[in-house]
Amino acid sequence: MNPPGGPTGPGRAGEGLSALGLSPEDTELLNELGDLLVLADPMPPDLVARIQFALELENPEFIEIAQRSPAAQLAGVRSQAGPSTMTFTVEDLTVMVSIAPAAGGHRFDGWLVPSGPHTIEVRVEGFDSQTTDADDGGRFVLTNVPLGCTQLLVHLAVPEGQRPRTVVTPTIMR
Amino acid sequence: MVMTGKRGDTRVDAATSGADPSLEDANMADAPWWELSGYQRHAACLVAAREGDRQALDALVHDLSPLVWHVARAQGIERTQAEDVVQTVWLTLLRNLNSVAEPRALARWLITTTRREALRVVRSVENEQPLVDEVLDRLRAQDGLPEQEALQRDRNTALWKAFRQLSQRCQELLRLTVLAGRAEYNVVAETLSMPRGSIGPTRSRCLTTLRGALNNETEGGSS
Repeated sequence: MNPPGGPTGPGRAGEGLSALGLSPEDTELLNELGDLLVLADPMPPDLVARIQFALELENPEFIEIAQRSPAAQLAGVRSQAGPSTMTFTVEDLTVMVSIAPAAGGHRFDGWLVPSGPHTIEVRVEGFDSQTTDADDGGRFVLTNVPLGCTQLLVHLAVPEGQRPRTVVTPTIMR
Repeated sequence: MVMTGKRGDTRVDAATSGADPSLEDANMADAPWWELSGYQRHAACLVAAREGDRQALDALVHDLSPLVWHVARAQGIERTQAEDVVQTVWLTLLRNLNSVAEPRALARWLITTTRREALRVVRSVENEQPLVDEVLDRLRAQDGLPEQEALQRDRNTALWKAFRQLSQRCQELLRLTVLAGRAEYNVVAETLSMPRGSIGPTRSRCLTTLRGALNNETEGGSS
């Protein structure tokens, strides 16, 4: 048993494996593999909190979930200092955002393709949301976004009477 | 982050999560989710979350994210990619909260959705760049260990390298088998038992291959 509040990875428990009719050698090897996965490949300890933050959304039935493009994903995560650029896409919208350190936080320079009078919202845990509108070219800037677990939302401009559309990203910073 | 007493003191109990479902169902209508365990707790949480119970949704995320994580990683994607996949799966659940299968099938829905999202990442990175094995980096990064721990590190490194040489199918099957064997994740066993008859022999072949690869990795080293 894991202690309460401890890591939530699978704990060692043989009874489930023994029901599979494996040899003792196979059971032992699987147990060893299980211990290795817990040790070397655990879920990041802060991921649950980040997910819970990312799910605090209004009208979630209208969200569209943006996918991070893979190259930018690795680059974005790896470079801790200096600006990093990441790209997210849903079916008919691409969001590029470049994030650079600024006094007390980050500067976000972004670009929506195709452009439109959409509203960008940046959620940072523990702070009020910041919003800005994209310009005619689809560009947007937020000069001082506080540090913390961060999620981007794009509230798309839709014709009067149509259902709202909100594009959401996974958390992009811790 | 909102933490509640409820969530902390209701961990899944290994002793009860495997009990006869038909017996457990009798109590389900009466008990609030925080007094339940196993798949009953998850079903009750989903029902409560549909009615706007924020703590119930948080409890689901807390209980089942490790499962989603390991299923995602079993598809061979990087840890950073798995972090996005896990979030995407939960956002997808949130969006479809009222239309997702039946509450009792939540774990299966999570596994299916996670595999689909992870495979989408696999396809999108295939021509982009080779994956970096972060786990191997982490294992190797521990220098200056006492002898006993260094031996364990070498053994772990060899086992991980051997494991990563297996086919993707074998890696996934063995990961899910390990998960299913751990009491908190009995739900995986149900998923694994789907194509009856073929799992057992395949698993045996995967384990034989793993053992052979492990012997190659440790040859000339300590036993």
